[in-house]
Amino acid sequence: MAERRRTGRRNWLAASLVILGIGVLVAATWTDVDARTRSRNEQGALAAADTHLARLRHRVAVTRFAAAVTKATRNALQTSIGTTMSQLAVTNGSLANANVHAYVQGVGIDTLQTCLGGVKGAFGQISAKNTTQAAKDISAVSGACTQLAGGTSTGLVYPFDFPDPSVLLVGQNYYAYATNSVAGNIQIIDSTDLTHWTAVGNALPSLPGWATANYTWAPAVASIGGTFLLYYAVDVAGTGQECISVATANRPQGPFSDKSTAPLECQKSLGGSIDPASFIDTNGTPYLVWKSGGPGSSKIWSQQLAPSGTSFVPGTNPSPLLTPDQPWESGTVEAPDLVSTGGVYSLFFSGNDWNSANYAVGVATCTGPLGPCRDATPSPILSSGDGVAGPGGESVFADTSGNYWIAFHAWVPGAVGFPNSRDLYLRRLTFSGPAPTVAPSGS
Amino acid sequence: MRSLLELEGRPFPAEPPAPPRLTRRARWIIGVAATALFVAALGYLVHDQVQARASYGRAHTSLGVTQRRTRTVSAELKEAARDLRDLKTQVGSDTTALNQDSAQLLGAQTSLSAAQTHVTQQASLIGSLQACLVGVEQALNELAVGNQARAIDALNAVASSCTAAEASSG
Repeated sequence: MAERRRTGRRNWLAASLVILGIGVLVAATWTDVDARTRSRNEQGALAAADTHLARLRHRVAVTRFAAAVTKATRNALQTSIGTTMSQLAVTNGSLANANVHAYVQGVGIDTLQTCLGGVKGAFGQISAKNTTQAAKDISAVSGACTQLAGGTSTGLVYPFDFPDPSVLLVGQNYYAYATNSVAGNIQIIDSTDLTHWTAVGNALPSLPGWATANYTWAPAVASIGGTFLLYYAVDVAGTGQECISVATANRPQGPFSDKSTAPLECQKSLGGSIDPASFIDTNGTPYLVWKSGGPGSSKIWSQQLAPSGTSFVPGTNPSPLLTPDQPWESGTVEAPDLVSTGGVYSLFFSGNDWNSANYAVGVATCTGPLGPCRDATPSPILSSGDGVAGPGGESVFADTSGNYWIAFHAWVPGAVGFPNSRDLYLRRLTFSGPAPTVAPSGS
Repeated sequence: MRSLLELEGRPFPAEPPAPPRLTRRARWIIGVAATALFVAALGYLVHDQVQARASYGRAHTSLGVTQRRTRTVSAELKEAARDLRDLKTQVGSDTTALNQDSAQLLGAQTSLSAAQTHVTQQASLIGSLQACLVGVEQALNELAVGNQARAIDALNAVASSCTAAEASSG
């Protein structure tokens, strides 16, 4: 019985131990499984997180790539904008220039059309033998034509054919006379300011019977004893002889009348006399200076006029003043004009070929109205350049303030030689030093 | 059952022999083996659990690192996305500006082309007018001194220019 009890206790102990062991094992297994589950879950979460991280990184990379591409696109766009803006600025600049150019051209076209209209009108009037209206037609467009010829900075005041000008001041009015052209035998224009000139018409509507029409030139007008005397060169009909005659009028704008039966001066043996200019000495004595001969034989003369101015003082003879002696003159001196200032007699003259750009103006100093004279300077005082070509046919006058001016004709550079026009120019003249000085262009 | 047998007068059957009991030695071996097995199992479980916990610890640490990186990368992604959005906005506005500028440039180029054509036409007209003026003025000067034939020659020389000028002037 006791044995059975011991055996029962042993069995119970063994069973308890087994149960305990099993319990321990179950607990250990459960915690192990739990640990493994947690570990697996954590690793799963880690894997998911890694995957998420990888996806995020991929998205970051993709986004950054897209940003880089977009940035490149933006930079390219901005470069294009810069280039376009630059091109736009250049284009707008060119457009502005083109518009300004077009505007200036438009003004130029208007000016050209205005000038051309006047010239065409004058042409029509001359065809209809109405020289006075022809002169008025062109003088009406003088401003436009002056602009086309380069403006007034060169001294241009009358942009039409107005050769061998001579200017006379009467009261407050200036009268300019010139060789036959649009206005007729002797052209006359007037001005009150020396800048704006208006055609008056033909100063010498009719010629004496011995004269040849269309061959009258180089006029000079003087006021002697209340009468206006027009000295001019003219061809003798039938002979072609070049001579000087004189016409009179009781007012400066004419009409002048020449009732002579013969020329005032011819010097046939010397090849003829042309280019007269009157000179009134300080004591009131009138003289006439002129040129004789042609190229190679030209000479400038002077002779005292009678008090009436229509003839020479009886018993007097022409006195030679000047012959060509300078290379630039090329054998020709002509178009004289004698001026007295401060007791000094200055003889202005033109030299070389009138129909070329070599024509120029020189000056000689004389001891008196009848000479002798010698060159004040070996070079011309006015020649081609400075906006003019072949200046000559000059005359000197004083304005209402006593300032001296030189009136001359010149070709527009690039349009030298007849039938181009010899336009009228005025420039200030200063008597100082060994020779008078002509003001440059623009002054 | 026995009573029933006794009643029937039949002899009782002999009792079955008791199963042989394990010897002390066998029980000892079995106990040791069971204990060893138990210890082995428990050791394995403990070892495995330690490994599992270590693995969990590593995974947890890595997860923390990964989560921090994820936050950083998320921030980077947001920044990159913002940059991209800004850039796209800029591209949009730049595209619009470029289109406007291009249209403006095209208009200016068209205007310039027209102006240059106008300038060229006017230059041609000026050339014709100048030539015509020179010829008419020469004709005027010739006619003024009675040279009718030369005046006509001068006019003929510039007739085409004068015609062109009149045609251009409308």
